[in-house]
Amino acid sequence: MVSVFQKYSFKDLIKKLFAEYSYWLSFILLLILAVSVNTNFLRWSNIINIFVQTATTGIIALGMSMVISAGQIDISVGAQVAIISGLGIVVLNFTNSIWLMFAFCLLLGTLIGSLNGLMVAKGNMPAMIATLAMQSICRSLINQWGQGGPFTVSNTNFDTFRLVAAGSIRIFGFKIPYPMIMFIVFSILFGIIMRQTKLGKHIYAVGSNTNSARLAGVNVKGIQIIVFMITGLLCGFSGWLYASRVMAVAAASAGNAYEMEVIAAVAIGGTSMTGGRGKIIGTFLGALMFKIINNILTMADVPTFLNGAISGAIIIVAVLLQNVQNKSK
Amino acid sequence: MLIEMKGIVKDFGPVRAVDHIDFTVNSGEIIGLLGENGAGKTTLMNVLAGTFPPDEGEIFIDGNKVQISNALHAMRMGIRFIHQEISLCNDLRVFENIFLSEELLRKNGLLNKKEMINRCLKVFERMQVQIDPNAIVSTLQPAERQLVEIARALLFKCDLIIMDEPSTALATKEIKRLFDIMRQLKTEGVSFIYISHKMPELFEICDIYYIMRDGKLVAHGKFAEIDEQQATELMIGRHLADEEFLNKPYYGQEEVILSVKNLSGKSFFDISFDLHKGEILAITGLQGSGRDLLADALFGAEEYTGTLQVKNHTLKQRSTIIDHMKNGIGMVPRSRKERGIHNDLSIYDNISMAFFNTKFKRLLIDSRREKERFLRQQKALSIKTDQPKNPITSLSGGNQQKVILGRWLEADADILLFDNPTQGIDVGTKFEIYRLIIELAKNGKAIIVFSSEFPEIHKVADSCIVLYKGRINARLNRDEITEMSIMYYSTGANLEAVKNG
Repeated sequence: MVSVFQKYSFKDLIKKLFAEYSYWLSFILLLILAVSVNTNFLRWSNIINIFVQTATTGIIALGMSMVISAGQIDISVGAQVAIISGLGIVVLNFTNSIWLMFAFCLLLGTLIGSLNGLMVAKGNMPAMIATLAMQSICRSLINQWGQGGPFTVSNTNFDTFRLVAAGSIRIFGFKIPYPMIMFIVFSILFGIIMRQTKLGKHIYAVGSNTNSARLAGVNVKGIQIIVFMITGLLCGFSGWLYASRVMAVAAASAGNAYEMEVIAAVAIGGTSMTGGRGKIIGTFLGALMFKIINNILTMADVPTFLNGAISGAIIIVAVLLQNVQNKSK
Repeated sequence: MLIEMKGIVKDFGPVRAVDHIDFTVNSGEIIGLLGENGAGKTTLMNVLAGTFPPDEGEIFIDGNKVQISNALHAMRMGIRFIHQEISLCNDLRVFENIFLSEELLRKNGLLNKKEMINRCLKVFERMQVQIDPNAIVSTLQPAERQLVEIARALLFKCDLIIMDEPSTALATKEIKRLFDIMRQLKTEGVSFIYISHKMPELFEICDIYYIMRDGKLVAHGKFAEIDEQQATELMIGRHLADEEFLNKPYYGQEEVILSVKNLSGKSFFDISFDLHKGEILAITGLQGSGRDLLADALFGAEEYTGTLQVKNHTLKQRSTIIDHMKNGIGMVPRSRKERGIHNDLSIYDNISMAFFNTKFKRLLIDSRREKERFLRQQKALSIKTDQPKNPITSLSGGNQQKVILGRWLEADADILLFDNPTQGIDVGTKFEIYRLIIELAKNGKAIIVFSSEFPEIHKVADSCIVLYKGRINARLNRDEITEMSIMYYSTGANLEAVKNG
């Protein structure tokens, strides 16, 4: 039988490379830039530092990839991290168990995510509005609870809980911190879910065309709820990790502007902002790139107040580039 | 005013919708534009009204060459197009719609509502209709909306009004009034292009006929010189290829596979019929006959009351799409772009989508099996592509439709609903789809084709249900299916006759 699968020509290959793997390209360019600014950039200690910094937002970005691929958006993630990490510390100080705290964080995140999903799917609310309201509610509640003061991990738990973010294992003499392992494992897991499971295919289908998905038998509302739920769950995990990293959660500033970082990571990673297309590996690299850019800017003595301006600009540029790519197809 | 179109060509992908058409409109003339669905009438009119530019050809107004770049431009030149699908903003008021983009302003730059409402009232008076200019459009009946569209055209000075099947939503009395208005405007020098399928109307109001078939102009002249029979023959033509389908055998078997009893929904009522294994049933009806919602209801995408029985198993009330799918019902939906394909997804994923929902039991998707599924359907349906990993939009419309069909074959559907299956598909591929439908019936699938295209029904159907105002008006056997009979029953002519007599 004659093979129906023609090989790509060289020109097609280059075109495909630009169209579908542009995030690899920008990643490599960025690395080159980073190394030229900071000769120590590729030292292992710096690399693991970037991974540890990326982990909290990077894990949420995986869920955000799902939400955006399904044609939705969730801007409540930063406030979710604040309320989850704050209340998580309360639970920790009360129970003296980091695992009970862990379970509490996941549960609270899933609950908030489910509420987001229900508002969008069953309440027919635009996701932007539903999650904006949720953001305001979460932030306000944790501020009220904290009354201005931070949520601080008690001395009894200090040494054990610190290890969640600061602990590491050694493989072949290389120190690998826990957050780095968590981020990589989650990324692989979500890569498989999005590529190779029914859930992943359904998420893309709903984001690509809701009507067609419904008429092919996809449970559209179920998918819309579950993507928010998973994002909430990841916020729970990330909130737990965040609490361990800072050990004292300031209600007003915890997780501030996380939604920007997370959406920026997804956008740089090449996920279509209108849904239907995107890859987890892109988001993984996107999240790292965001931190690398920060890293470079710190090296170049750019004031941290400008971080917001820069992440905003990154989103704009990334999405504009996507549009240009889509047109050229 | 004299409008001339010369050598107009318009392609949609591989489909040539309009093929070198010359068309002339003189002042104070009512032209009837005839042709089957898909003959290219609406496309030609869209070119004239500036909806999109022609690929080739020129347009002259009073001898001057013009480029009509958009609808507003066309309006400024005195050309108004009343579309078949009503294009009003439902949340705005009647007068706001009528004056949309041509709002009257007061000196201070604010809207002059009073004047706009007054003018609306004047036009409605002239049309002898009673519509409140202040009403929100969504509260109006379909016929009233149609009248608002017409009022919009009448309100402004224009030289040519194009009407695309305006009478489908109108009752006999309203049509008569519309014709009165048209006759009056004609004496004032306004010209009309009137698109319709209804011969009596065309012969009553129009002076000149233009007949199109497969994108080409086949005849034009004066209505006074032909009769209905001749017009119909010119319109349908005699396709050689039709003969292939003339002696289609009946593959229906004893077993009743789908039994529909007293099905009612939003716009269809008391529908009952049986469908046998291997049978091809067509269901037709004009716009607004409830055909679309009936198709959705049979697939569980629309609420209904009544019973659906699949192979002696009665489906629960309020069954979902998934329940219908699990009982072996599949649907190739109408409006493929909006309701059928996932344009971001690969051909692989598009073909597997229904399979994932009904048959897929594993945790991880195996790309080898996905490829097998594709290859099986590619062979069965001859889908033309060599890169199934590409997005489905890389295929032509016909091949996309085959992918959607393959989706249901992979999900093992026994009952296939085809809703307007050859919309926007070129003639050659249309025939391929017909052959596939017949082949599937031969292999024991039960098939319902929802269609408004007579040639399509004529080629594939063993019998045909004609809907009128949401009810079954007639069930025709294969030898009773003629263009005349379908038109007769779908316009409710038999019922109107009883009323008048």
